[in-house]
Amino acid sequence: MEIFTENYFETGAIILFGIGFVTLMLHSNLIKKIIGMNIMDTAIFLFFISKGYVTNKEAPIVVDITKNPDSYINPVPSALMLTGIVVAVTTTAFALALTIKLYKHYNTIDLEKILEMREES
Amino acid sequence: MIKFIPLINILILILFSFIILITKKEKNVKLMSFASNIITFLLSILLLTRVLLEDFIVLNLGKNNSLLGIQFYIGSSEAVISLTFTFVMLMILWFSNSSVKKEVSEIRISFFYILINILLASLLGVIYSNDLFNSYVFIEVSTLSACGLIILKDKKENIKATVKYLIMSTIGSGLVLMAIAYIYSITGHLNITNINEVIVSSYQSHQNAVLIILGLFTVGLGIKSAVFPLHSWLPDAHSSAPTPASAALSALVIKVYVFMLIKILFRMFTYEIVNSFIIMDIILLLGSMGMIFGSIMAIFQKELKRMIAYSSVAQMGYIVFGIGLGTISGTAIATYHIIGHAVTKSSLFLISGLMIEKTSSKKIEDLKGIGREMPITLGLFTLGAFSMVGIPILPGFISKWYLSLACIEVGRVPLILIILASSLLNVLYYFPIIINGFFGNENLDGKIYKSKKIELSRLIPIFFLVLSIILVGAFSSKLINLF
Repeated sequence: MEIFTENYFETGAIILFGIGFVTLMLHSNLIKKIIGMNIMDTAIFLFFISKGYVTNKEAPIVVDITKNPDSYINPVPSALMLTGIVVAVTTTAFALALTIKLYKHYNTIDLEKILEMREES
Repeated sequence: MIKFIPLINILILILFSFIILITKKEKNVKLMSFASNIITFLLSILLLTRVLLEDFIVLNLGKNNSLLGIQFYIGSSEAVISLTFTFVMLMILWFSNSSVKKEVSEIRISFFYILINILLASLLGVIYSNDLFNSYVFIEVSTLSACGLIILKDKKENIKATVKYLIMSTIGSGLVLMAIAYIYSITGHLNITNINEVIVSSYQSHQNAVLIILGLFTVGLGIKSAVFPLHSWLPDAHSSAPTPASAALSALVIKVYVFMLIKILFRMFTYEIVNSFIIMDIILLLGSMGMIFGSIMAIFQKELKRMIAYSSVAQMGYIVFGIGLGTISGTAIATYHIIGHAVTKSSLFLISGLMIEKTSSKKIEDLKGIGREMPITLGLFTLGAFSMVGIPILPGFISKWYLSLACIEVGRVPLILIILASSLLNVLYYFPIIINGFFGNENLDGKIYKSKKIELSRLIPIFFLVLSIILVGAFSSKLINLF
């Protein structure tokens, strides 16, 4: 049990990842799927950024250049996740645009109903 | 200067796609796209000649060390694959010149060329990149542009197929990113070469983490490359897309992810580490299942493009099977099959697009007697189908032959039966089209010899593709020795 409470960042991230993954897989409502996708991505960001975090260190924004570099956290994960956030936002935007189109054509955003429709026609 | 070719390739394609965005005339759009693709094709030839001399090229971007900057690594397999991909894409573009406006509405034609350019740039990025996170970004770009290509044809089923594809591939990329996070946390690197150094010395203390990483990468990239049980998005997406786009999707896009899997399994981890985990047996099982069930499902398809799409699932099975053997020769065959299948499947899709256009029916049963009406087209189709089935000299046969040899090498002789069964199943769905096409009599009433003949100029790109199928087959031993 201790291992979970000590690494609470990772535990939280994995729980969030699980929630997002299950939402993405099991819900047939497209909006909920997109929400699940976002939760999953956020969980990964949390996991990744916690890897660069060092206790009692500052965020890697250099204001005072005379300061010792050791007083900052590892900037690489934060920088990577900035890119990751951009990717996630793009995908979400595209998915939402698709949802609007899908609704116009099928009058529903329930993916299971849409998949059934094909077999009828 | 030659060292920078990989970067130039990617930048030219992306730059031209932005210029196309502000170009209005359709003719100029095509010209730009074609020009950028010719440049990348020629540069890829140059790159290959250089790589053959020097074995590999390493290009550091940003900082001049691999710890912080992004690194490109081009070995011989990367160079050959990038040459094949640029060649196939060039032929697809050539073909699309006359056919894209038949399927895509006028205002969207420039989007087609933009997306094709971005798609090829991102695919080359995944191939060249030696940095995991950079690969991830390129993977996302390629997925989004592939989705864009499917939805270009504004029909009901296209939107549905795109949604399905987008959701499946976001699951895949989520898993891949999680795997990258894991690997960063145990090694502290993102560069494949550096990770390899750390992981070889310390994997024994992280057995579980390595297993999780391998699983996440296999499933994540497996979803994106339509490995058998995760393929459900592929038939819809590839059959509903416009013909040139489905050729690009089926021939190039799914291959890239499986190639990245090869890089991760065998260059980042090594054969030794990977073979000590159960994951290789699972990959082998997935590959065998894909080979059999992909073919079986293809037999029951009634639409030509859907059948060819299912055949892609079966062919991905061969590639995954080669990886799953976990030997150097198995990987070489997998890489060879990536190339062989890229040229074969693209020509099959383009030809099927022509046949659908002329008969204006997607159904296979309406193709009876088509050999009478368009003999050259069906003749080219026959060659492609022969390669899929495994007639000697053609690449399909060579992959099957060497795969069998690789099975014997690791002492798993029963696996050859799966390869044989899969070949026979391939015969079952490709040959009826050819036989009914040439000799199907019941449907011949009122059909006139060469009545639906296609202008020769439209067939030239397909001629080149079929020629390259034969060349890939004829120079197989040289190619396989490279990998």
